[in-house]
Amino acid sequence: MSSSPESGTVFIVDDDASFLKSSSRLLRASGYAVKAFESVQAFLDQLAPEMTGCVLADLQMPGMNGLELQQSLAKSINPLPVVFLSAQGDIPTTVQAMRRGAEDFLTKLGSKEQLLDAVKRALARDAQERNQRGRRRDLQARFAALSPRELEVLGHVVRGRLNKQIADELHINLRTVKLHRTNLTRKLAVPSVAELTRLVEEAGLFRPDQQP
Amino acid sequence: MNRFQNIFPAAIRLPGMFLLLILALTGSGMRDGFAQSAPARDDAHPKRVLVLFNDARDTSGNITLQQAFQTELQRLATNRIDFFEEYLYARHFTDPAHFQLFQNYLGRKYAGQNLDLIVVFPAGDYALAGALPAALFPDVPVVFVTANELEVPYAISKLGVTGIIQRFDIRGTLGLILRLQPDTRRVVVVGGTSESDRASLGRIQEIAQGLEGIEIDFWTNRPVAELPAAVKSLPPGTVILLSTIQRDAGGQPYFMSQVAQLLVPSASVPIYVLGGLAVGSGVVGGVVVDSEKLGAHGGQLAFRVLGGVKPESLPIEVETKGTPMVDWRALRRWHLNESRLPADCVVRYRPVTLWDQHRDLILISLAVFLAQAVTITGLLAQRKRRRHAEAEMLNQQTELAHVSRVSTMGQLASSLAHELSQPLGAILKNAEAAEIFLQHEKPDLEEIRAILADIRKDDQRAGNVIARMRSLLKRRSVELISLDLGELLRDTVTLAESDARARLVTISLQLPVKLPDVRGDRVHLQQVLLNLILNAMDAMAGTAKAERHLTVRAELLPDEYVQVSVSDCGTGIPPDKLARLFEPFFTTKPDGMGMGLPISQTIIEAHGGTIRAVNNATQGAVFKFTLKVADPSS
Repeated sequence: MSSSPESGTVFIVDDDASFLKSSSRLLRASGYAVKAFESVQAFLDQLAPEMTGCVLADLQMPGMNGLELQQSLAKSINPLPVVFLSAQGDIPTTVQAMRRGAEDFLTKLGSKEQLLDAVKRALARDAQERNQRGRRRDLQARFAALSPRELEVLGHVVRGRLNKQIADELHINLRTVKLHRTNLTRKLAVPSVAELTRLVEEAGLFRPDQQP
Repeated sequence: MNRFQNIFPAAIRLPGMFLLLILALTGSGMRDGFAQSAPARDDAHPKRVLVLFNDARDTSGNITLQQAFQTELQRLATNRIDFFEEYLYARHFTDPAHFQLFQNYLGRKYAGQNLDLIVVFPAGDYALAGALPAALFPDVPVVFVTANELEVPYAISKLGVTGIIQRFDIRGTLGLILRLQPDTRRVVVVGGTSESDRASLGRIQEIAQGLEGIEIDFWTNRPVAELPAAVKSLPPGTVILLSTIQRDAGGQPYFMSQVAQLLVPSASVPIYVLGGLAVGSGVVGGVVVDSEKLGAHGGQLAFRVLGGVKPESLPIEVETKGTPMVDWRALRRWHLNESRLPADCVVRYRPVTLWDQHRDLILISLAVFLAQAVTITGLLAQRKRRRHAEAEMLNQQTELAHVSRVSTMGQLASSLAHELSQPLGAILKNAEAAEIFLQHEKPDLEEIRAILADIRKDDQRAGNVIARMRSLLKRRSVELISLDLGELLRDTVTLAESDARARLVTISLQLPVKLPDVRGDRVHLQQVLLNLILNAMDAMAGTAKAERHLTVRAELLPDEYVQVSVSDCGTGIPPDKLARLFEPFFTTKPDGMGMGLPISQTIIEAHGGTIRAVNNATQGAVFKFTLKVADPSS
């Protein structure tokens, strides 16, 4: 087997030392960088923003279990994708885990292919999400240059309002609206409204149905 | 067993004791009987009784008659009685002068003796009871006792003499003959020639006339000496009836028993008699005069007269009923069926069997035996039933324990599956990793060796899980052996741990540094522990996650017991339910069967321990059970 094209480390969290060791060994043999943790807490303690890769976690563990790991991770600065491994998972737990964005839910008795496939997808997803998060941070930095009034005007623009409508809404005159629009397109360096809308969406600035 | 072993010697002893008791009773009775002639009575006024016999003292009937009479009279009387006996020997001294001589002799002899009573055994010659006493002692009352067919002279009754006449029961004897030998066609009657003999024959003739189809043949003209030859060839269907022979055709005096003895050896047919004393000489028997009975009867009459009752006020009694009496040996000789005898028939000379001798004793013993046998049988049956019920109960308990274990297993199934997937998953991952390593050009053999070692380890782990499950599912009875309680507790906690993990319960096990082995059954104790642990976890379902803590603790008690406690941090047990926890089918859980704790209790009690539940002072409940230390000395 060729070495993995994906970059990143597989962080394995499992309280069963034997399984932790064997799964680490398999992934390492398959060309992945692996780091093993015997508890959720040990992993979270070491979690840092620069850590790339994915988490392979047992669902049932003493102390914090897999689902709690998933929740903590999602709220953290580094929301790595999670692949769950379970000795035997019940359906409600599986549904809950998937709904919260787990990359996959595997049984411990599953084949190597299933595991490697899931890890591969999780790593790819991490790379993609990390990329997205980077772009979003850039965009957010660009949007941060806007004044509050310019942001307000932007909100109306991305909803497809006309300048006249914006002026009435904000109780300012039409010329002022135009000035704000000119300034913000210059600051954001976007050529069209269409591009502006895409950027706003990418930055996750505000949802289209949201009132500014 | 002891109870029953003890009963048997008792059963054997008891009849023995009865035997002794009865021997003692009869023994004392016999001594009393012999002691009757002994003084021990009021000697102040001894009664004087003159007893007169017609014949010699040793005449066969006399001894028996006299003894029975004297015994009975003495038995009834409180005074001492002096008996004076005189014998006429009438059969040998036929001269009337002899009688006179005898009378004179008596007159002289007893003149000043103040006789109280004269008893006469006249054997037919009523002169001895009538004329003689009347002439000599007119004021002395007279009682006679006799067996014959003669009419009582009128003079006697005029003299105010009373007495008993026993008639020969000819009708009865003929009846007995026909009863024993229904095919009898001919009766040869052998009789004598005296006045009394002729009276008897007359009666026989009179009664036999009423019998149809029976030929009566009177042999009265042959001397007794000729008879043995004559009876040699009598044909079947014939019997001989011996009447009285005071004097035969040749003028010789005889007794019935003498004649009987002469005839028996040569007679070709059975011989019947009228007198009881002939029974024993080889004759079959008859409905006879029982001299003992007659004598006793006479004694009773004499007692009344001696007591002051006037003889003239007592009518002469005539007894016509004889006593059926047969010789058992003769019955056998002639093949006569004993079952044909009348119920009241006296059977003489039957070999005395233990039954005859100790009939009551045997019956009592048998009854005691029977009662004991019934009791023992009853007890055994009861014991058997109880054993059966116990076995059945044990069976059901084992069954129930098994069901309970299976249901415990059901509760543990998901965690056990988890428990199994861990090592199996690890084995799979290791194998797959090894495959990858082997594809390398220069495989890292060190790594592969390590992988194989891990695989082996995980395989053993999986095997242990299966072994635990299997031992838990086994259906078996309690077998107490010495076992390491610490190891058992560790294993059980391990078994429950994955379930605990799923329920977010932490289990801590607290063992003393030194814990002795206990006497117990591993599987059953594991069941009890699992049941308590699962219960404890159920109880903590509503407890805050951080507080779901369960403690299993073992500690050595001072009196060679080890106490195991399972403590939870749940809601505790409502005080009103605490007492009922170990009742079957009592449960505090909505889906509980109510069998876990009763079975646990049964198991612990089978180990000689106890189990109880109490609420913790702060939070939750604790279940404690005790087990015996396996070898207290060590």
